[in-house]
Amino acid sequence: MALVIAIPSKGRLKQACDAWFAEAGLVIEQTAGARGYRASFTGLTGIDVMLLSASEIAASVLAGDVHLGITGEDLLREEAPELETRMHLVCPMGFGFADVVVAVSQYWVDVSTMADLDDVCAAYAARHRRRMRVATKYAQLTRGFFAHAGITDYRIVPSAGATEGAPAAGTAEMIVDITTTGATLRDNGLKILDDGVILKSQAQLAASLAAEWSPETRKTCEALLSRLSVKAGAPLYPALAQRLKL
Amino acid sequence: MAAFPYYDAAAIGALNDQAVVLLKLFIARGYTREEPSVLQPADIFLDRYGEEIRRRTFTLTDPSGRELCLRPDITIPICKHAVDTDAKYPARISYNGIAFRHQPGTPNRPTQFFQAGVELLGLEDAAAGEAEILALSVEAMRVTGLGDFEMRFGDLALFGALVDALELPTQWRTRLKRHFWRAGYVETLLRRLGESTQAPSRADIEARLDANASAPASGRTRDEIIARALERGAEAAALRLDPAIAGVITKLFGISGPAQQAVDEIRALLKTAGIKLDAPMAAMDARLKAITALGVDPSRVLFTAHFGRNMEYYTGFVFEFWSRDSEGPVQVAGGGRYDALMEILGASKPVSAIGCALRTERMLVAKKFLGGA
Repeated sequence: MALVIAIPSKGRLKQACDAWFAEAGLVIEQTAGARGYRASFTGLTGIDVMLLSASEIAASVLAGDVHLGITGEDLLREEAPELETRMHLVCPMGFGFADVVVAVSQYWVDVSTMADLDDVCAAYAARHRRRMRVATKYAQLTRGFFAHAGITDYRIVPSAGATEGAPAAGTAEMIVDITTTGATLRDNGLKILDDGVILKSQAQLAASLAAEWSPETRKTCEALLSRLSVKAGAPLYPALAQRLKL
Repeated sequence: MAAFPYYDAAAIGALNDQAVVLLKLFIARGYTREEPSVLQPADIFLDRYGEEIRRRTFTLTDPSGRELCLRPDITIPICKHAVDTDAKYPARISYNGIAFRHQPGTPNRPTQFFQAGVELLGLEDAAAGEAEILALSVEAMRVTGLGDFEMRFGDLALFGALVDALELPTQWRTRLKRHFWRAGYVETLLRRLGESTQAPSRADIEARLDANASAPASGRTRDEIIARALERGAEAAALRLDPAIAGVITKLFGISGPAQQAVDEIRALLKTAGIKLDAPMAAMDARLKAITALGVDPSRVLFTAHFGRNMEYYTGFVFEFWSRDSEGPVQVAGGGRYDALMEILGASKPVSAIGCALRTERMLVAKKFLGGA
C-alpha cells in the first residue's frame, strides 16, 4: 500500500509547494497518462502524490482518503472544527500566509472592536427583529469566534465568492474573509476590527488520523519526513508517530 | 445512551406509558395537547436566536433550496403558532415529542430525545403563573414515580433589577443584562468597565463619517451611528466603575446554597450596599412559600444567583429538577419565564410566558436507578 500525499494542483500554492520540495531535494514528476491528477517524487517509491484543489485536500485529510496533505490552515480548521482530534499538523510550510478576519464598513466609525460589534448587533436585532448578516465561506470559524466574543445576535449567509462585495451589495452587513494585505477590503470600504483576527493562517503539512496507517505506510512516511526534516529544521516524524499510537 | 438511540419493545413501551400518564395530567389541568411538525423552517430559530443555537441544530436544505431544521426545541414552534393564529390568552398548551440536538464534543450523547412539557402563555398574574407551573411540574414528577428530586432556582430578573439599581451608563446596563447567562462573561465585562479613552466630539464623528461616505451603510443610519459613537465616547471617557458596585455584583454571583439561606444572604448583601429590590425579593419569597406548600423539602431547593438556563430566551425565574442515575446527578426537567419570546416571534404586544420541559427518557433512567438502589 502506498503512502498518499495530496498537494495543490494549481496556482501560487502549487508553485510554492514545488519550490519547497525542490529545496528539500525532492522533485515532483507527473505520472504519464494521469491527466495531471497524479504524480510521484523522482527516485522515491511507495508514495502517490495526488494533485487536488486546496479545499478538496482539507476534506480528504479529514476523511482519511489521504495520509498527508498540504493546504491552508484556514481550510483545514474550517473543515474540521475540532481539528486536533482529527488530524496532526506536521509542520507549517512558510508560505500561503493570510489572515481570516472580521471586517465591517468604514462608515461604522463607532465600531472598532468585537465588543462594539456585539452592541451594534444586539441593537439591530432589537430594532429590526432580525439579525445582522455575516457573509462568509468560513461558517465554522465564524461561529466559534463570535461565540467566544459573546456575540449571538447575527446570522451567517454563505458566500461562494467575492465576499468583500456583500456589504456594498446589501446582501450582508459584515463579512468574515481571508486577506493578505487588507487592500481588497479597503477598496470595498471595509475595515478589520482591532481584535477581529480569527486566524493567522499559512499552508500546513497535515497528517490524517483517520487514514489507514499500515506498518508499510508508516515506514514510507518516516523516510519522507526525515528527508523533509532537514528543510523544516526539526525532526517531524516522532510527534506524528506519537499521535498515531493513540 | 447511544448517539442514535434504538427503542426496543420494553423501552418504547415504558416511554408510551409514561407519556399517557403525563398527558392525562396536563389535560386534566387544562393544558391542551398540541404537536408542531418535527421539520421546521430554520429561520424561526436562526433569525430569532442566531448562530449560537445553530451550533446545536441539525439543518438541511430542501430540494427547492429552502433551509429547514429538525426542531431543536418544541417551545419556539408552539409559541410561534400561538402568535400566528392570534391565540386567546391565557393559553395553556402541552406537548410530548422528539427534539433534536447536536452535542458538540460529546459524540456519544443522544442526538434525539423525547421531551414533554407545558407552556402557559398570556397569564397577567406572574406570581400565579409561576405557582401554577411549579405545582404542575412537581405533580408531573410525582405521577411518573420520580418524587425524589432536588431543585435549583435562579432569577434573571433579580440580576436585571440589581443592574438597574446601580449607577451605570445605559449601554453597560444592557450589556451586563444581555450576557448574564454566559458563565464568566460578565466578570470579564466588569474588568473592562474600568478602561478609559478620550471622548470624540460630534464634529469629529461627523467628519469621520463624511470621510467614509462612500463605504456601505450596512443597515445603519447616520444618526444611529452618531448617537452610538457619542454615547460610547462619553461612557469610555467618564466611566470608572465604583469598586463597591463591582464588588456587589461579584458577591451576588458567589451566592449559592439552600434557597432560604441564599435569599437571606442576598437581603443582607443588598442592605449593606444600600440597594432596595423589594419586588424581585418578594417574588422569590412567594416561590419558596409555594414550593414548601407543595410538600417539597425546602432544604432540597437550592438557589444560585448566577444561574441562567442555557437557552437565551429566559427572562426571569428559572428552575431545574435534578435526580440521579448511575453516572451521578442528572437534570431531568427545567423551565422558567420567557416574557420576551412572544414579541420576538412577532406578537404585537408583550405576552407573559412561562413553561417547563421534561426530559422523559432521563426521568425513566433515574427512576429505574433509584428504584433499584
